Amino acid sequence: MDLIIQLLILMPIGFFFGRAAERKHIKSLEEREKACEGFFVSDLRTFPGISDASREPKMLTGEVTIASDYYKRFAGGLRNFFGGEMKSYVSLMSRARREATLRIIEEARAEGYNAVCNLRLDSADIGGSATTNKASVMVSILASATAYNTNDQAQ
Amino acid sequence: MIVVNTETIPGYQIVELKGMVQGNTVRAKHAGRDIAASFKNLVGGELKGYTELLTESRREAVERMMAQARQLGANAILNVRFSTSAITAGAAELYAYGTAAIVSKIE
Repeated sequence: MDLIIQLLILMPIGFFFGRAAERKHIKSLEEREKACEGFFVSDLRTFPGISDASREPKMLTGEVTIASDYYKRFAGGLRNFFGGEMKSYVSLMSRARREATLRIIEEARAEGYNAVCNLRLDSADIGGSATTNKASVMVSILASATAYNTNDQAQ
Repeated sequence: MIVVNTETIPGYQIVELKGMVQGNTVRAKHAGRDIAASFKNLVGGELKGYTELLTESRREAVERMMAQARQLGANAILNVRFSTSAITAGAAELYAYGTAAIVSKIE
């Protein structure tokens, strides 16, 4: 009975809502990335092309947690059995990283900076999947970077 | 206080190093948020409650690190790094560390 409920109700819900949520997110990411074009991002430890040394640089952080949907988890489970690339999780991870990076860029722009350097991306484990069973799949990304001003966009 | 995750600050020179400073925190959200998160796990999407949890934890850890630096008389923290550990489901430990220093503007 449980299996029937899972297959007939939860799977379609996960599939349709999950796909809609993912498409909406990717669309919003693309729009916002376009709006941030020309903003210089690097993971160098120095400040490439710094123009205004009188202004204090500032460390900014961006966080995001995204959940996978029921269908993807099911597909991931199958893939785990047969082996190979888990495509549904690849896009989940990359969406989370893009989102966290964008949050830093948007914050830096709001504060009047036009570049960030030393961008670091880490992941956190809130779901406790490392300590308990993998009942839910979610990804948390922590990004940190230092914002400064540059006048040379074409680094 | 100048807080950066780079090793140097352009336009400033390091006058004196005060050593490593750190701050950590373990926070959790109330059960309602965890239940909401388990629903979100069905349909996918951002778990705003947990994003908030991370933001709060990070702020708290950085705040504690800065308090320690202030106590040492530093006016900057260089090379800040973050690290997380999983303790239990629905909670996160956030650890921030960096090097406290006294910096001055280069004339």
